[in-house]
Amino acid sequence: MPSFVPLSPDTVEDQRRYTRARLVEVACLDCLAKVGVKKNSEHHTSIQWSGQALKQCQEFARMSDAPDGRSVHAACPRLAASIEAAVREGEINIGAEDGY
Amino acid sequence: MSDTRLLDTGTVPERFARGWHCLGLVDAFRDGLPHAVEAFGGKLVVWADSQGEIKVLDGYCRHMGGDLTQGTVKGDEIACPFHDWRWGGDGKCKAIPYARRVPLRARTQTYPTVIRNGQVLVWHDVEGGQADMEILPPELEGVGTDRYTDWTWEVIDVPNAHCREIVDNVVDMAHFFYIHFAFPTNFRNVFEGHMATQFMESTGRPDMAGEGYGDEDLILKSEATYYGPSYMINWLETDYKGFLTKVILVNCHIPTGPNSFKLQYGLCVEKPEGLDDKTARYIGKKYSDMFGDGFLQDVAIWLNKAPVQNPLLCEEDGPVYQLRRWYEQFYVDKADIVAEMTDRFEFEVDTTRANENWRAEVEENLARKAAEDAANAQTVEKTPEPAESS
Repeated sequence: MPSFVPLSPDTVEDQRRYTRARLVEVACLDCLAKVGVKKNSEHHTSIQWSGQALKQCQEFARMSDAPDGRSVHAACPRLAASIEAAVREGEINIGAEDGY
Repeated sequence: MSDTRLLDTGTVPERFARGWHCLGLVDAFRDGLPHAVEAFGGKLVVWADSQGEIKVLDGYCRHMGGDLTQGTVKGDEIACPFHDWRWGGDGKCKAIPYARRVPLRARTQTYPTVIRNGQVLVWHDVEGGQADMEILPPELEGVGTDRYTDWTWEVIDVPNAHCREIVDNVVDMAHFFYIHFAFPTNFRNVFEGHMATQFMESTGRPDMAGEGYGDEDLILKSEATYYGPSYMINWLETDYKGFLTKVILVNCHIPTGPNSFKLQYGLCVEKPEGLDDKTARYIGKKYSDMFGDGFLQDVAIWLNKAPVQNPLLCEEDGPVYQLRRWYEQFYVDKADIVAEMTDRFEFEVDTTRANENWRAEVEENLARKAAEDAANAQTVEKTPEPAESS
C-alpha cells in the first residue's frame, strides 16, 4: 500500500540523488564490513550500512554483549578510522556537487 | 523544460502509523471516569478497571453507536450511556442488563496497552498485527522515584498539518537557529531499525535573550531518540551559568486525522543534590515552559507551510530523505518493509560554516541594537518632561 506518494517523477530522482548518489564503498580495515560513504566536506560524513555489514562489525558485536547493550547512537571507531584512511588515500572525493 | 523548481506536495497516506502511541500520564486516567482521546481518525475511550488497570477501546458502542466516553465505569467495565451495554477491556460485551443474553459477535476494537515510565502507551496497527513488545521505549531508571520530579504534561492541538512535520525536526539542524534561537554547534543523526536518533550540542543566541532557547548562558547537550513513529525520549544535560541539570523530555504525538495531530510533551528533572522539592519542581516548570514555547514556534511554521515531498537541500542540511525513508516503514504493510528503510544510517552535519555565518549575523544584530539603544537614550534626554496631567 502506498504511503507518502510523490506527484512528480522528478521527486523519485531527488530521492535517488539524496540517498544513493555518490556513495563510495569503503571496507573496514579490521572486519572488512562494507559501507557506503559520502563526504560533502571535511567534517561532514554520511554512512550507509547494510544488514550484512552490521552483522560483520566486531566492535558493534562487542558493544551488544555489554550489560546495557549497544546504544544506537554509538559509532564504530574502527570504521571511522577506516574512512579517514580512505580519505587520506584519496579514495573518497570530498566536496558537494551542485550545492549538496 | 523550465529550470524552475516546483514543490511536490504529494499526497498524505491514508493510514496511521503502526506502532506504540502515548495517550498521556497514567494518573490522569485513574479517577474512575471514562476519558475520551481523539486518535487515529476517531475517538478512544480510556478508563481504569477496579484493579487500576488501564483499558482502551474504540469510543463508540457497537450496538447503536453510543459515545462510550460519555458513559459510566461500572465495576471493571465501561457502560454505554445509550442502552447500558457493558464492555470489558478485552473488547467483549459482558452484559446487556435488559437482554436474555449477549450476542456472540459482540466484540469491539481493543488497543493493547502498556504502562511505561508512568505513561499509557497503546499499540496501533491497521493490519491488526500483534503488539510488538520488543520495540517499546526503554524504561527510564529512577523516573517515578524520589530521584526525579513528577512528569509535567502538556498537549498542543495541531489541526492542519501531518505529523511527519514534527518528525522532520530530527534532522533539521538550521531551524534550531531560526526558530529556537540557538547555535547548534554539533549535530549528528543515526537511524537504525525502529529508532531514529539526533545528537546535538547548542548554546543560546545572545541577541534573543529570554526567547526560545535564546539565552547565551544556556548550553544544551541533547540526545533524542524516536522509538517508533511517534514517541521520542530526549535526554538533556543543561548547563546554565555552570548549574548543571539533567532533564528527560518526552516528545510524542497522536495522529487525530489524516492531516492533524496532537503534540504532547512532558518532562522530569533529576533533583539536584541539596535542592528542595519545590525548587526542583520550579526548575522543571521553567524548562517545560521553555520547550513549550519552542513547540509553539514550530507549530506556527507547520500551520502555514506547504507539505513538500521533494525538499531542496543545501550542504548544511540534515538527511531529510533518509529520515523519511526510515519513517515510511511505519506506513507500509509489515511485509512491504524493505531493508533500506531500517538499515543503519549515520550522518554528521558540518556545522562550521553555518556557525561562522550565524555568529557574524548575531554580532551585527547586537551592534545594531546597541546603536538603537544609544540613540533612544539620547532622545529621552532631549525630550522635556511631560507636564503632570492632573
